[in-house]
Amino acid sequence: MYQTFRQSMTWLHTWFGLVLGFVLIVVFFFGALSVFDREIDRWAQPATRFAPQPMPSFDHLLRPVFERITEPDPDAVELARSMVDGPLPEKYPVMDWSAYTTHRDPVLDTYVSFDVPNARNPDDHVHGHQTIDPRTGAQLSASDLKIGSEFFYPLHYSLHLEWMELGYWIVGFAALSMLAALVSGVVIHRKIFRELFTFRPQKQRQRVTLDLHNLTGVVALPFHFFFAFTGLVIFAGIYFPVSETQLRPLVEAHEQAEAAATGLPHDPAGVAAPLASVDAMVSDARRRWASRGMGGDVGFLFVNHVGDANGYVSIYRAGTDRIALTGQGIHYQASTGALIREDPPETAIASVNEFLTGLHLQHFRHWLLRFLYLFGGLAGCVCIATGFLFFVEKRKQQHARDGVAGARIVDALAIATITGTLIAALSMLVANRLLPEHLADRDEWQRNVFWMTWLASGVHAFWRSGFTQEGGAAPAWREQTLLVAVLAVAAPILNWLTTGDHLLATLETRYWPVAGIDLFLLATGVTASLIAHRLRRPALAHAHLATMKP
Amino acid sequence: MNSSAATVAPRRLVVTLSRIAAAVLGGYVFVWGLVALSISGLAAFGMDYDQAWMLAMLLAFLVYLVVFIWAFAARRLGLVWLVLLCGGAAMTMGAQLLVSD
Repeated sequence: MYQTFRQSMTWLHTWFGLVLGFVLIVVFFFGALSVFDREIDRWAQPATRFAPQPMPSFDHLLRPVFERITEPDPDAVELARSMVDGPLPEKYPVMDWSAYTTHRDPVLDTYVSFDVPNARNPDDHVHGHQTIDPRTGAQLSASDLKIGSEFFYPLHYSLHLEWMELGYWIVGFAALSMLAALVSGVVIHRKIFRELFTFRPQKQRQRVTLDLHNLTGVVALPFHFFFAFTGLVIFAGIYFPVSETQLRPLVEAHEQAEAAATGLPHDPAGVAAPLASVDAMVSDARRRWASRGMGGDVGFLFVNHVGDANGYVSIYRAGTDRIALTGQGIHYQASTGALIREDPPETAIASVNEFLTGLHLQHFRHWLLRFLYLFGGLAGCVCIATGFLFFVEKRKQQHARDGVAGARIVDALAIATITGTLIAALSMLVANRLLPEHLADRDEWQRNVFWMTWLASGVHAFWRSGFTQEGGAAPAWREQTLLVAVLAVAAPILNWLTTGDHLLATLETRYWPVAGIDLFLLATGVTASLIAHRLRRPALAHAHLATMKP
Repeated sequence: MNSSAATVAPRRLVVTLSRIAAAVLGGYVFVWGLVALSISGLAAFGMDYDQAWMLAMLLAFLVYLVVFIWAFAARRLGLVWLVLLCGGAAMTMGAQLLVSD
């Protein structure tokens, strides 16, 4: 469509970058926050501000917890409605129990899978879950939202658009476009090495924006490529569901062959059987890991075919000390506790796969890398944001002369996705501290505050960006940056007032999850105030550039 | 150029949309075929299904990226459509033969 390869790549970069950039900046921002999802949870759930706990005793503590989860979660029942043709089943038979924990989790998530007897697809099942205090077994209130791991993190990969898994597809398409934008970006900017060292803040605004775009794009190029690529690999089963469709016969044959080879029954026997002591199995698994010179924390515990003669218990080692999430699985017969099998070392392909996906998900312990992820993610946000600004700066004079609204629309959308996203996330934290503790549907209220403030910021951005259409700067930038500053300072103060955990106390006791979030919020507040102050002076034409810094 | 601008604009829009569709949908059909054929092919050669699946998925998105870029860079859009659709369909059918075998 264009004369040269470079021209076609410029077109691809500009238009895919622009349209999918609005998705990508949300994905990058909440991905960056998700790196500290457990810590945000602690901030938002004062009752869980205690030290991370190991996997508790199964026999004394976990088993009663699993046994009291007798039906699927309400949203899972809604999901079941789409799996059956007729009415919902009266009863959902229990299939398996599982619990997963990492070195950053004070609370434990316990899951029960339920069969949906009349589902069209016999493999379909639904989940029930409870979050518990692993010291006592007490259930945490289901309306006590884990803002980090239950809201920001799923927003990162699914946009909370669960219908037909639409959000996953949009994010996946955005990730593919990100890869294409990186390749085409490298083609456009041939002097790529020089751009590593080019930043000229005193130049005109358009040039500075482009410098910063190139700098953040090039410096973190391997990071951006890696995360977009591995993100696609993680959800490959959703994007190319060959195993559920075309290759289904191969999968069925494989599952039967694998069950025969490993001795782990694929189906229940239909004969009731008791459950032996799982704690004894855990001690045996620990002994076996120790004999291989490995640490003995249990990361994932799985009881399949609960209460059935074919039941078995799988115990996996936690992924604290290596990239893979879990590993070195050891399997026992549920009714007797007899060893069935120890997983052999991973094959080369599985190791590569675990390395790539594990490095993306980062459940292992490496705090320096965790911070690098945060800054890599924020660099991605700056790169995308400066891309928007460059688009606007390059065109707005021309659009003003032609009476076209293009630059203004892009500017307003940029405001809504840059400062608007910050406002929504911060408002949610503020609401988390202000809403009464025993309010019914407290989790829904917090979610609604997030979506409503985001929507309001979008409306405000369109309302207060008229100047962009005349070739000027939109006042919405400064107004929303001021609001970011106010909210970011209000959140730690409210945390202090409502929980007593002020910064001096959390720093003194070295309670980093809350101290770190408070410090980060205050830094955001100070940065936003400085930027808002600079945006007051229109003479400093390039100042509005600085608003990308979160 | 000026006189033909009115007729060129709609045509160019169609070509652009066709390129986007070729990159996104044509690319998807092609990669689906590639994934299905490589998994069923490797499984037929005795590789474990899960291993074959992982290998195919590690390659899938890199191939998708290459054909995606190619759809925009190629001179002849017709060739892009031909390769992606026919290639994808041929590989999907090849996989089907292996599955029903």
